[in-house]
Amino acid sequence: MTSRGTPSRFLKSVLQNGVGRYVCQLKRLSLVFSKDSANSLGVREFIEDGVVDFARQNPGIVVYVAPEKCSIPKIVAEYLNGTVKEEPVNRKTSEEIRQLIKKLSVQSGLEVIRIRKPFHTDSPSIQGQWHPFVNRSPSLRVQRFVKEKSKLESS
Amino acid sequence: MVFLSLSRWIRSRGPDRYWRVQEVLKHARHFRGRKNRCFRLAVRSVRRAFVFATKARKAKKRIMRTLWISRIAAATREHGMKYPALIHNLLKCQVALNRKVLSDLAITEPRTFKSLASLAKRRREEGFLVALGDKGEPEGIFSRIVHSQ
Repeated sequence: MTSRGTPSRFLKSVLQNGVGRYVCQLKRLSLVFSKDSANSLGVREFIEDGVVDFARQNPGIVVYVAPEKCSIPKIVAEYLNGTVKEEPVNRKTSEEIRQLIKKLSVQSGLEVIRIRKPFHTDSPSIQGQWHPFVNRSPSLRVQRFVKEKSKLESS
Repeated sequence: MVFLSLSRWIRSRGPDRYWRVQEVLKHARHFRGRKNRCFRLAVRSVRRAFVFATKARKAKKRIMRTLWISRIAAATREHGMKYPALIHNLLKCQVALNRKVLSDLAITEPRTFKSLASLAKRRREEGFLVALGDKGEPEGIFSRIVHSQ
């Protein structure tokens, strides 16, 4: 729980998403649940009510529904930058699962860790970053060479 | 002849000790020396690290502010003024820039900072004129206070 001991990153967006067109970063959503056990009741209800609407509203997300024998039901979210996020939805209600899926669809695939600064610029300085000669007179750059006339006259 | 009682003497102290130890060691992996490997030493070091992290959250604010102040002081001295004069005169001109922004301007926007320093300098001179000169309408432009509605 120290800042050096836990991972951290700078604020960034995936390929400046949103500057032009916004591309939904979630590419695949797999709902893994069991057909019979009581802990996937919420998932089954969600699949009855909301999955089809969600899939229609987000045409960019591929939704897989996988009924298999599993001890706990989970939702696997895969993002365009390769991150895979698994969320257990054990004994959750249909409404909670809906909120969770909404949250996952809005996230980008960047890790949810401490962000060092809440701002980021590619061009932090417009007038030019300060260096030790900014506020000094440009006469420091001038070097005067004096012709040595006395040597020529003597020789 | 089968030895049965030998196996009964071996006790399993519980399967979870490994995980309990790893929970502490994972916070010590970037330490130096044996305290990143040995649990006994790691427990003490990890606890101290957490305590330092807690205390440092308050101290960080103080440290950052002193850093900003020293940076602004260095930048104003380049323009022939001192830090207290700059801050007081910017306050009197109703320029409500905080030390963080001023230090960032001094680094990335040197000309803007120069104009702020010259504004403060002018306001200072006008203040001196008012204080030392005869009491009358102050001639200065920057001494006039803007009242926001």
